[in-house]
Amino acid sequence: MPNDRPSRRSLLVPTPTRRGFLRLAGATAAFSALAQLQVTPAATAAAGAQAPGDRFFDDAETEILTQLMQCVVETGLPDAPRVRDTRAVATVDQVCRGLDPAISGLLPLALRLVEWSPLVFDLRFARFTQLAADEQDASLRSWTTSRFQLRRTAFLGLRNLCFLGWYSQPEVWSLIGYQGPLLPRAAGGRVPA
Amino acid sequence: MIESLPGRGEDLVTRADVCVIGSGAGGAVAAAELAAAGRDVVVLEQGEHWTRRDFTQREDDMLPRLFEEAGMRQTVDGGITILQGRCVGGSTVHNLCYAFRTPPAILRMWREQHALPELTEAALAESFARVEANLRVKPIREDEVNTLNRLLRSGAEQLGYSGFVTRHNRENCVKAGYCLLGCSYDAKQSMLVTYVPRASEAGARVYANARAERIEAPASGPRRVLGHIVDGAGRSRGSIAVEARAIVLAAGAVGSPDLLLRSGLGGPEVGRHLHLHPSVMVAGYWPEPIHAYRGIPQSYYIDEFIDLERDPHSGYVLMPIAGFPVLVAVNTPGFGREHFRQMRDFSKLGGLLVLLHDRSEGSVRSGASLGKPEIRYALDAKDRGLLAEGMRHCAEVLFAAGAERVVVPFLLDPLVLERGADLGAIARREVREGTLPIASTHPQSTCRMGGDPASSVVNAFGELHGVPGVFVADMSVFPTSLGAPPQITTAALADRTAHHIIARGSELAG
Repeated sequence: MPNDRPSRRSLLVPTPTRRGFLRLAGATAAFSALAQLQVTPAATAAAGAQAPGDRFFDDAETEILTQLMQCVVETGLPDAPRVRDTRAVATVDQVCRGLDPAISGLLPLALRLVEWSPLVFDLRFARFTQLAADEQDASLRSWTTSRFQLRRTAFLGLRNLCFLGWYSQPEVWSLIGYQGPLLPRAAGGRVPA
Repeated sequence: MIESLPGRGEDLVTRADVCVIGSGAGGAVAAAELAAAGRDVVVLEQGEHWTRRDFTQREDDMLPRLFEEAGMRQTVDGGITILQGRCVGGSTVHNLCYAFRTPPAILRMWREQHALPELTEAALAESFARVEANLRVKPIREDEVNTLNRLLRSGAEQLGYSGFVTRHNRENCVKAGYCLLGCSYDAKQSMLVTYVPRASEAGARVYANARAERIEAPASGPRRVLGHIVDGAGRSRGSIAVEARAIVLAAGAVGSPDLLLRSGLGGPEVGRHLHLHPSVMVAGYWPEPIHAYRGIPQSYYIDEFIDLERDPHSGYVLMPIAGFPVLVAVNTPGFGREHFRQMRDFSKLGGLLVLLHDRSEGSVRSGASLGKPEIRYALDAKDRGLLAEGMRHCAEVLFAAGAERVVVPFLLDPLVLERGADLGAIARREVREGTLPIASTHPQSTCRMGGDPASSVVNAFGELHGVPGVFVADMSVFPTSLGAPPQITTAALADRTAHHIIARGSELAG
């Protein structure tokens, strides 16, 4: 699997450990900055120094994003497509690749915090991706009711990113009755230019 | 000539009579008028050059292409999202084409309270006429009013509220409805298809992906603009140096003060007095599909709750608004199944926007090189109250127009109202940044115009106090919140600035 940012691989911690917790503290500080969409020049420069590659998120982050998005966009409909069956996560990845590093640079860390949030905020010895669907839903709800505005605001940012990926998929449009673009016929659409 | 700089493979070092920074409603007009008068003009636009063939009508494509920070620009506390254009043509590529002249009461306030006696309707008439002709401004025909706007007009009329069908700048509109994502038909008469080509045909050199970083304005001799060639993600790909006799800064009410602050120009008022016209969409759901996203998105305008003659400082207007799936999802509270229960009725949804003529003021502070400016803004108590009142009136109009359910978008604790519900519940909620999806498409007033250098940044012609030859020509020069859609005022003031530069003759030309 391509991975253009090997330096962030070191953040992968398979089970909760003291070292992982310390790394998480750093991520939390960064996350606070993300929530305010403020980035230090150093962070911007570091993010900008990463060469653009095939993917923005690495494998672990992609898995966190996939499960986060499934929880955020859950329809409850048995026949609805699953996030994994669409290009929703790939769409978010593609958008992030094109973003100014000042905005995108801390998103991977935000996903790591989601992954560790059951331990950090709920004192459960589990990661987000290890939880059942209803437990994931409950974990995310604790973000929305947090007494810390930064945490609530950060969740809204991630939520919106999930919606961008999901509701950009044509196979999702039929679920909500959206008829889709009306492009000029010359561009492959339905309307005479 | 419109050139995307990363393609040239080398730095840009050049000279011109005038360097215009920005190609939106202010910069494009100034560039075209100056070039038509024979000035050698260079335009630096930090965004990319897209054309109708690039406008796919898909949000995942167009939000990153057309908007600053991919539509995610926010105040530092994350409370207000600020939608500004970042492409050749600026915000006019994604705006919804309301075409209002400056309200007379606002002009009067600017004259009387900001020492700008020159800003009379008569003095601006020529600029307004020229701009409106070039943008093909005309009344929206009855057959162009779409379903949502027709329904909301009916609701407002039942309640006895004042409103009217507005003017717009579209030509041969096919009513596809995607104005917000760029017009695939070039029917929208944005700067991209009007003033930018006019400027180019008159000899202006328009450079895309050209980000100005600093202005040098010595007491004598030519001014210089220094910057970077940037790629689509904002990464530096080379340097820019333009030497010019005059500089017209039109980077918007965030970008312009940011650049002046980086350059140490403009004095202590730069970046202060930010107004946003904060807005919130209240969603109504009809019993049957209305496909509100089809047709001209905004044609009706409810002005019942703003009386600028009585109080030029305050009030709000209500404007119909639809949206596409992502934008609606973002504005719909909650997540998971409860969120989808609202989204499932997407085709039955129509929105009404409350847009504040805000008294509250914020600020813009400069960020690091290639970084983001810091935008701070907090609604004061009166404006929070008006926003709540406006949302209540939105709900009232939506129900009168036939909606069977209204959702007031308190993001983490949504308020869903059924027909006959107590609308007073809205005022009992906490209305502030962070609890509602508040957006701004009209940041303004951060380099405000005025006769007194102690309380303003530019004079009546947009020229920096004490820095001859450096002008500002965008919404940042508005002395106060405008209280109306700003496109035509911005363009007319830029036209006036351009003709002032022309009249200065050889002083500001090579």
